[in-house]
Amino acid sequence: MGKQIQWETSLTVAKAKAKKEKKLVLMDFYNNL
Amino acid sequence: MGCQQLAAVTYPDPNVCFSVEKDFIPIQVDFNKNKALVKRFSVKWTPTIILFDADGNEHHRFIGFLPPEDFIAQLVLGKGKVEFDQDHFEQAMQCFQEILVRYPKADAAPEAQYLLGVTKYKAGHNPKELKLGLEALQRDYPNSEWTKKAQPYALIP
Repeated sequence: MGKQIQWETSLTVAKAKAKKEKKLVLMDFYNNL
Repeated sequence: MGCQQLAAVTYPDPNVCFSVEKDFIPIQVDFNKNKALVKRFSVKWTPTIILFDADGNEHHRFIGFLPPEDFIAQLVLGKGKVEFDQDHFEQAMQCFQEILVRYPKADAAPEAQYLLGVTKYKAGHNPKELKLGLEALQRDYPNSEWTKKAQPYALIP
């Protein structure tokens, strides 16, 4: 099993991490239907 | 369907995983469960991928399934747009050139070629860069909408 993308679920956390790590935010809107 | 294909084909790809983790903090939002974010970002269809900076400014979005190479090319294009929007022209050019070298057949490539010409012009204020960009588009992507968009640059002496 290879490495998997570690998805955040909180936008606030994602933005804080992006700021701290000098990265961008990739937001994927999905549905399970 | 598109979301399931992204999850089954694109996201498990090692190169996609590397590209995402290198430059992005990824977040998934359930379209049916988070109506506040759906409304805030005006999302009407899934999958919708939005790239924004840490301050929340959106720079790029795309909808629908994409296979790994096209998906990565869109990520690099988005990164280039962020650099361009922040007037970091050298870094933006590196992103657009990366797409043209590594993913020349991706659908993002003609837009990258267009933006490369624009970025070179913005960096050096030489209008001939726009015309050179058009010539590259006419040569490599003659049927692209970006070639049409660059057509006025043919008038540059």
